Amino acid sequence: MPANYEQAITLTGDLHARPAGALAVAAARFSSAVSLTVGTSRADAKSVLGVMGLGATSGQHITVAAEGPDAEEAVAAIVTILTQATRVGA
Amino acid sequence: MSLDARVGIVLVSHSAELAEGAAALAAQISGGTVAIIPAGGTEEGQLGTSAAKVQRALKLADSGAGVVILPDLGSAVLTVRALLSEAGDLPTPVELADAPFVEGVVAATVAAAAGADMKAVLAAAEEARHARKL
Repeated sequence: MPANYEQAITLTGDLHARPAGALAVAAARFSSAVSLTVGTSRADAKSVLGVMGLGATSGQHITVAAEGPDAEEAVAAIVTILTQATRVGA
Repeated sequence: MSLDARVGIVLVSHSAELAEGAAALAAQISGGTVAIIPAGGTEEGQLGTSAAKVQRALKLADSGAGVVILPDLGSAVLTVRALLSEAGDLPTPVELADAPFVEGVVAATVAAAAGADMKAVLAAAEEARHARKL
């Protein structure tokens, strides 16, 4: 059943190219539409260039939202990547 | 097409260093699971393009799911078009993308790494021209 799901986290590191790539590859595995919102900027999580274009930095709040049959799993997967890949030193 | 086949990418640049650098960057961002083969410069190591280099790169990039070619500037397109119209023994399908070089290879490679088919990888490359950096 289609569902909406979202979760906000605070970045502990900048969202650089490599985590953006990992995030887009992971998001593409889900059939749900997945978006990232930082302030007034919103990007399709499946678009690596869109994710990098957010220019999200450490300390910013980022909202991961998904709509579709696997929305909850998609949000959980993306939040995990954001948490791990932007950890300082990663 | 095998279950694990990914669309391959060939980078055709007038500069060997430019093609190699863009390939390395895209490989790191996409996780290293896609064949991204640089074909830059001439056979003599000068600035220019080489149909023979492109042909070798196409073979290396092909794992059965097709190959998308990204040219750096317009005249690389001429080399690729001539090759595609004349040479036999090329990967099928093979498509030339009308896309920005760096953004295009990054977007195409990430799509290929996620298992996208030829049409979707080509679309990812071509949509890269609309991506904003700021």
